[in-house]
Amino acid sequence: MTCKNIKEKFVEYLTNELSKKEREEIQEHVAECEECRRELEFLTEVWTELGVLKEERPSPQLRTRFYTMLEQYKQAESEKEGRDKGSLFSRLKNLWPKKPVFQFALTLGMLVLGLVIGNVWTVIPQQKAITTALVDEVRSMRQTLAMSLIDRESASERLQGINMSHTMVDPDDKLLDKLLSTLNTDPSVSVRLAAVDALYLFHNHPKVKQGLIDSLSQQSSPMVQASLIDLMVSIRERKAVDALKSLLDSEDINPEIKDRAEQGIQKLSF
Amino acid sequence: MTAEQRINQMESLSDSEIMEKVKDGQVEKLAILFEKHHVKVFNFFLRLTGSHNLSEDLVQNVFVRILKYRSTYEARGKFVVWMFRIARNVHVDYLRKNKNHFDLDDQFEEPEGQDDSPVYAFEQKQDKELIQEALSRLPLKKREALILNRFQDMKYKEIAALFGCKEGTIKANIHRAVKQLGKIYFELQGGVQS
Repeated sequence: MTCKNIKEKFVEYLTNELSKKEREEIQEHVAECEECRRELEFLTEVWTELGVLKEERPSPQLRTRFYTMLEQYKQAESEKEGRDKGSLFSRLKNLWPKKPVFQFALTLGMLVLGLVIGNVWTVIPQQKAITTALVDEVRSMRQTLAMSLIDRESASERLQGINMSHTMVDPDDKLLDKLLSTLNTDPSVSVRLAAVDALYLFHNHPKVKQGLIDSLSQQSSPMVQASLIDLMVSIRERKAVDALKSLLDSEDINPEIKDRAEQGIQKLSF
Repeated sequence: MTAEQRINQMESLSDSEIMEKVKDGQVEKLAILFEKHHVKVFNFFLRLTGSHNLSEDLVQNVFVRILKYRSTYEARGKFVVWMFRIARNVHVDYLRKNKNHFDLDDQFEEPEGQDDSPVYAFEQKQDKELIQEALSRLPLKKREALILNRFQDMKYKEIAALFGCKEGTIKANIHRAVKQLGKIYFELQGGVQS
């Protein structure tokens, strides 16, 4: 075989797609031909070097963004069917709470937010205390709003509530409890997945950590199980090993989840 | 639909069959395809651009487009090929719109945590940055073909279908890409070629 023929197969040699015979042909050729040997060595080195780029995981927000988009799309579609006029206005209207009490809370929240922004803008030292109080108030109002959204019937509103909790720096126990119970009982898989992602942000809280471990045995959806296992591995929660083992014992475990749980146990026990 | 029903579908249906259902209006089934492929698409963009934040935005755009153009899906081809065709378009559109864009956020992006020793971690980080830099200097088409083959486990046949050319052309392209990448990489290292 000529050098040209041999070189044409170098890429397949790297990706291991040649038959045993073809591989041997190449090996025999490069043992004799220095130019080809140098080239193959060089290509192999570069190919191996590319291995430092390991597969990475996107942030949990990506999943939440996708499910929010999907829910909104579904909602927009069903509205289009209903009225055949899915205008931008009606979409915006959807974001507006339906009950007057929430409308009031949101308006007040906006007003207070406006005041806070105004205050921060002018930064008058004497007003700092008032600003802090207002910030606290906004925080608690946002939290109340997030919790009330999580209680809604529509899945996309519940997702909005969960998204709001992402931005909270120090949520109180009530909100954390709400997120944990959503994770365990919400009928929609999308909402439960979003809850996993939100709780990931607060995993340092002991209650959340335990709640996440306990939740493993309560989930029936493999998607939620998978994201919980990934979460345990990424926060290196060794206490989760027992929960993973008992998950493996359950009879109706999905084979993909079984693999993932086994890998998880391995990584956590290491 | 219950979670159990979702599992059954996830196990028994091919990507193409699931996408057909999405096309027929069962848009919630796109979740199954998202769960299966989003990390792959994310890593494709990450290799292409080197930026975490940007790659996430682009992944989101891919799935938005899949929904938007779901009626154009044809079951004859492989779903993955169609998905990566959209991914390439999303990336090219981004490049067109942001010719002079400089993502400030990414300049401050923290690298992933490593468990290994600090020295090893430092070397790894340097290698990673260097090879990523070298990749970014490859012409786009070569870069795409190489990434799809090396990291996305795509067969030459699939890449050829995606690019609309012959398998032989793809192989030759990847061969040249590895060679060129090697040259750039060793130049960046200070010209020491072993």
